[in-house]
Amino acid sequence: MTQLALQHYLAVGAIMFCVGMIGFMTRRNLIVMFLCTELMFQGVAINLIAFGHYHGNLAGQAFVIFVLVIAAAEASLALGLVVLLFRTRNTLDSEAWREMKG
Amino acid sequence: MDFVIRHSYLIPLLPLLGAAVAGFFGARYLKGNSHWPIWIGVGSSAVLSFTLLFGMLGRWHPQHEGGGHAGEARAAEPAAEHAATASENTAADDESAVQFPETRRDYPTLAFGRHLYTWIRAGSKQVEATDAQGKPVFDASGQPVTKSVADFEINAGFLFDPLTAVMLCVITGIGFLITVFSKGYMAGEEGYFRFFAYLGLFIFMMTILVMGENLVMLYLGWEGVGLCSYLLIGYYYDRPAAREAAKKAFLVNRVGDFGFGLGIMLCFLAFGTVSYFGNLATPGDGLLEQAAAAAHDMNPLSTFQQDALRWIPFLLMLGAFGKSAQFPLYVWLPDAMEGPTPVSALIHAATMVTAGVYMIARCGTLFVTNQPAMNTIAVVGAFTALFAATIALRQFDLKKVFAYSTVSQLGFMFVGVAVLAPVAGVFHLVTHAFFKALLFLGSGVVMHAMAGVLDMRKMSGLRRVLPWTDKFVLVGCLALAGFPFFSGFFSKDEIVGAALQHNLFLGVVMLLTAFLTAYYTFRLYFRVFRGPLVLPEAPAGGHGHGHGTADSHADAHSTASASAIQAGDEEESGVDEHLANRQAPASAHHVAHDHGGAAHDHGHAHGHDAHHNHEPLSMMLPLAILAIGAVLAGYLNWPERAASLGGFLGQSPSFVEAYRAAEGVAGTSAEHFGVHDPRPTPETHELFPAIMLVSGFISIVGILLAWVMHLRDRARAERLAESVAPLTRLLEAKYYVDEIYQAAIVEPLRALGRAFFWIDRMIIDGAVGAMSWVPQLSGYALKLGVQRGYLQGYAAAMLFGVVVILLVIFL
Repeated sequence: MTQLALQHYLAVGAIMFCVGMIGFMTRRNLIVMFLCTELMFQGVAINLIAFGHYHGNLAGQAFVIFVLVIAAAEASLALGLVVLLFRTRNTLDSEAWREMKG
Repeated sequence: MDFVIRHSYLIPLLPLLGAAVAGFFGARYLKGNSHWPIWIGVGSSAVLSFTLLFGMLGRWHPQHEGGGHAGEARAAEPAAEHAATASENTAADDESAVQFPETRRDYPTLAFGRHLYTWIRAGSKQVEATDAQGKPVFDASGQPVTKSVADFEINAGFLFDPLTAVMLCVITGIGFLITVFSKGYMAGEEGYFRFFAYLGLFIFMMTILVMGENLVMLYLGWEGVGLCSYLLIGYYYDRPAAREAAKKAFLVNRVGDFGFGLGIMLCFLAFGTVSYFGNLATPGDGLLEQAAAAAHDMNPLSTFQQDALRWIPFLLMLGAFGKSAQFPLYVWLPDAMEGPTPVSALIHAATMVTAGVYMIARCGTLFVTNQPAMNTIAVVGAFTALFAATIALRQFDLKKVFAYSTVSQLGFMFVGVAVLAPVAGVFHLVTHAFFKALLFLGSGVVMHAMAGVLDMRKMSGLRRVLPWTDKFVLVGCLALAGFPFFSGFFSKDEIVGAALQHNLFLGVVMLLTAFLTAYYTFRLYFRVFRGPLVLPEAPAGGHGHGHGTADSHADAHSTASASAIQAGDEEESGVDEHLANRQAPASAHHVAHDHGGAAHDHGHAHGHDAHHNHEPLSMMLPLAILAIGAVLAGYLNWPERAASLGGFLGQSPSFVEAYRAAEGVAGTSAEHFGVHDPRPTPETHELFPAIMLVSGFISIVGILLAWVMHLRDRARAERLAESVAPLTRLLEAKYYVDEIYQAAIVEPLRALGRAFFWIDRMIIDGAVGAMSWVPQLSGYALKLGVQRGYLQGYAAAMLFGVVVILLVIFL
């Protein structure tokens, strides 16, 4: 068993990103779709931390802390919106909002 | 006078300021006092104009005084001119005020220039120089030689010569009298302030027109007065006839102005300048100077310049015919009588319509060398004079008679300038301004008193109710008819004399016209002011002073006031009472009774002072002054005196250059100017006593004939009219000219307009509309295909885009 190299971290990040993307594409439940976007986010964050570690500095980690803070704020907003949408239509199906197209 | 010239911008500016004050503050603050800014503005610019005129008269050395500066300079070598130029700057402390050299080519001249600023300057350009054969010129090294082409540069500047001074005094002087008259006449009209604002603007434009030192400033004023004319004809814009007349005046003038504009452009193309006398201090570079030099062959012209000189007069003439209402562009002037009467007096009789005569007198140099052009003007002028006079014979509307008379008299002026007697033309312009303004204002008084009725068939014997107006109008009529020793007699006489000298047939036509003029003038006078008293029954709908849509109360009041005059007359003129009772139709009383006791009582209450009501001082004073002018203006140009209007005008550089040009043309000499060659030519005045006798006789015969037909036995005129019924109908229909225009020009144009409208609507708009479907349809297709509302679809599209970008970047 060799030591964990950069590419392992990157692979985990890429897998998380792809899982999130596939989930976003295939699911229609707004909350699940939101979770998938979070998953994609974390995949990218792992990437950043891996590169930061690889280059031996803390820039990546500092950046990720920022991203997480903003993501937290954004998550509360998004969940609030989802709650509102649910109250309006009594469903979480994203299809319910199709008429929002231009 | 130096003060006036240095501050000459005040002459146009003050009326403009007055107009601005009246226009901006009139509606809300000044209201019934809106005439004050205009009175002050026009009045002070009249004072300045007269100061200028008298200052200029002070500088003027009439020819026969001998000795004098002018005489010496005349004897001097031409080379001395330039020296004189430098030494005789009157206002040396102010470089922009320049006096002309006191002599021009051995003629005495009197002129001052005032440069204000450079108005338009378009940069110069280098072009390849060419030799006489039009081949390019090369220098020693084989490079083409370039030269700089003249800038397109137009100065805002004024030229003050006797012609300008006289015109300015006519415009501001008569303008001021008419604004005074308007106060009484327009009192209580809706849009009182608007009327005065337009009048001030008009005076501004008209002064610019006559003061400008180049053709473009003339054109500016020309279009400006056209605009004011349009606005004032359409003053009663709630009356369809007034709107139509305003549009007609504007459109007909466009035809002429188009030619005028082309003429100015051609002047610039050919001579590189539009300034009459160029740089005022140094002679030689102005448009008129170049043309005069060309007539002497001092300055060989290119073929293009020769062709241009052939066409410029015709183009300018077109403008003059439009503005001065000559055949075939006269049709707008009679209709222009829809405007308020003071406007008819000022714009459509005294000043604006004479702008064409002014322009031809100013640019005479361009005309005198062109015999076909001069002949055209003479023929058109004479034909118009006769044609309009015949129409006036059978019109029944007072203002229409005077309108056709104006057209006819303008024809006289054109004949004057065309037979190389521009001084006579301008002289007639001045006298005509006095007596025609007087006559129009007189008819305004009649209209005011008769509640808008102007039909001479409905009124008679107004002498009894408008005694002062009667006297003033009589003076005006005598002047217009050319009755001996009234102003029109002298000025008309000079034109007839010059025309006879020029061409016998032309002179005879002019004499015939003078006869008709005397006849129709006194037909009007005898019918309206003499004979038994008849007052109009009710205001004619839609015409005249009041509003066409006057409500019934106004109607009742007007009628009551008309009958009030009658009541007052019956009470006061004991001797005439029976006559008036017998002759006046009972219906006049009837109408008053029909309108109920109140209206009748009202009428009686005012019965005693009815005379004063209808002839207030503010209206009579201008009439009186104009009447004095109409008598005395003729003596301005007493032929035997060298110190006459002719001698004064003869020193205008415009006239001097015209004499010079005429001298240069084979078969013409300065003597042909005859009437007022500034140099003593004893033989020129010989003809005139004989002409005076003939034209005086003709005028008296015309008046007597009118007396027989229209006062002694009025039925006789109708019998005569019946006996030549087709001719009468032709005259009453004004030769069907309006109908011919309608059929030949208006209807085809309207049809063309409809066709173009259809093409525009269907084909042009259709194509544009079709083009707009392309983005609409493609957008629709895109919407259907892509924007479906599936969030996942959008995410997929995003992914796809990212993939494409990555591929593009890394592959």
